[in-house]
Amino acid sequence: MEFFTKFPGMERSALAELRKGIDFAFRDFSKSYGDGIEAFFDPLLFFLVRLEKLLNSTPWPIIILIICGLAWIGSRNWKLVAGAAVAFFLIGYFGMWKDCMATLAIITVCVIICMVVGIPVGVLMARSDRTEKAILPVLDMMQTIPSFVYLIPILMLLGIGKVPGLIAICIYAVPPIIRLTNLGIREVDKETIEACEAFGATKLQKLKTVQIPLALPTVFAGVNQTIMMALAMVVIASMIGVKGLGVPILRAVMNQYLALGLFNGLAIVAIAIIFDRVAQEYGRRIQKHRGFKR
Amino acid sequence: MKLKNIILSALIVLGFASFGTVANAKCGKLVIAEQNWASAELMANVDKIILEKGYGCEVELIPGSTMPTFTSMNDKGTPDMNPEQWANAVYEPLKVAVSEKRIVVANKAPITGLGEGWWITPATVEKHPEIKGMTALEILEHPEWFPDKEDPSKGAFVGCPAGWGCQLANANLFEAFEMEKKGWKLIDPGSAAGLDGTISKASDSGNTWLGYYWNPTSMVGKYGLIPVDFGVPFAGRDNWDNCIMKPAGECTNPKKTAWTKSEVNSLITASFVKNGGKDAVKYVEKRTYPGDVMNGMLVYMADNQAKGSDAAVEFLKKHESLWSKWVSSSAKKKIKAGL
Repeated sequence: MEFFTKFPGMERSALAELRKGIDFAFRDFSKSYGDGIEAFFDPLLFFLVRLEKLLNSTPWPIIILIICGLAWIGSRNWKLVAGAAVAFFLIGYFGMWKDCMATLAIITVCVIICMVVGIPVGVLMARSDRTEKAILPVLDMMQTIPSFVYLIPILMLLGIGKVPGLIAICIYAVPPIIRLTNLGIREVDKETIEACEAFGATKLQKLKTVQIPLALPTVFAGVNQTIMMALAMVVIASMIGVKGLGVPILRAVMNQYLALGLFNGLAIVAIAIIFDRVAQEYGRRIQKHRGFKR
Repeated sequence: MKLKNIILSALIVLGFASFGTVANAKCGKLVIAEQNWASAELMANVDKIILEKGYGCEVELIPGSTMPTFTSMNDKGTPDMNPEQWANAVYEPLKVAVSEKRIVVANKAPITGLGEGWWITPATVEKHPEIKGMTALEILEHPEWFPDKEDPSKGAFVGCPAGWGCQLANANLFEAFEMEKKGWKLIDPGSAAGLDGTISKASDSGNTWLGYYWNPTSMVGKYGLIPVDFGVPFAGRDNWDNCIMKPAGECTNPKKTAWTKSEVNSLITASFVKNGGKDAVKYVEKRTYPGDVMNGMLVYMADNQAKGSDAAVEFLKKHESLWSKWVSSSAKKKIKAGL
């Protein structure tokens, strides 16, 4: 009877031994390889530090001008440009400029890495069903596993700072761009593909001139999602020593500072909305250009 | 007439007697804060077992942390008890709450031999043997011994995670010791895990480390952290309370000072006194963990990844001679039977 009421689980002490064993094995691993892995990421750290310094040392009117310029190039929409200018002006006015620049730096680098890693992986997935089947569960895991769980090994391996924070953000933010690149390429019209194959296009030509351009709007939606998810991770990244808008939010949560939390939270929302609208407008424009309708 | 008197007095006596036993034996529902670090987890769980098994209370543990738990106890009167309140973080509001009888300091020193301050790792001494016996004032002249990963031209000083009471103190001391001018950078480790991560990372890879920590902790026991003497005396309560513990903007002229003497209290609310009964309060007043016993338990917890509840059982089994002094003999029997 006891068999049915009590789950025949692993013995308590054996389970503790197993957990300890895994921990010690990983600790040994990080002891012997941690420094090497850290050195591997040094160029990235250099780039991140440089970018943040650049953003912080550039006079603020120039930064706002550049952001407005980028918004204009992306959207060709005066309202959006004005909105971006007002949002960044307010962020500076309420004393969040420095944190905001730190967040912008890490988000920018993170999105670039996600694109560089994500789009090729998405293309690979689109080319083979087997690859897709192998990668999909990994993506599911990356999106659902609570981020605190992978913070522990990252912390043990790389300590605290920008690089471990960046990796934590990328783990969470890269899946949408992979998924949507894969989807976009798979959804390209079969007849179009047939036509270009009939003209004797090589695989590379097919990818470069037909599949990717036609999949671009979907890929863009993926980039968009990646940006949003990266921004959502800012607070968690600040738990392992990443500077930026997440730090004051963390302080606000611990001390119940309503206004501080609200201001910094809204600053993240403002950045997210600007990124999102500009990217969406850009996506819509390239679709119009190709004669698509939404 | 006589009979009436006898019955009356008997009734009165009976009434008193029964009232008395009710007041003594009955222990109501109590909420105890289980703060999110090891020693607080252990104490909360030991309190839970002893109060439940020994005194018949119904104890619920709720998660907490220095500032949120105190704020909630102060404003809302719940949880009923915080076994390990670091008093410096809440010095002023605690004084007010005690004078208004909302909160009672039931135990002024539930753990002995504790302290907050600045520490270095043994690996630091190995790399720079001349640091031995140096005060903080002297160490601060050598930021080059503690190069920061992100900006090696600066010395890294690891402060306190955002939102902890000690974060403000460290930020103001950073000012007071003019560390920025001397080439230091105040690192915010972001969380307790981040702070511990910097220590174990530095110790494991033989790097130098200077930062804030406190005792008793498994980290101090495990990595043999060495306390750093500040080299200046404690510059008075006024400087500490009205400047060092205030947010950066409100403390314009912080003075160099040693860390204030740490005080940990067991706080209970007025409703604990009412619901818990005299015996429960007496237990809280009596229980004192010697520092070395606490450190030993903390290393046990870290090595075995024991939760507070597991460690509490281990503590009660291993240190019976210690806790049996805290409780009445009848409660002791009941607790032993309940284990």
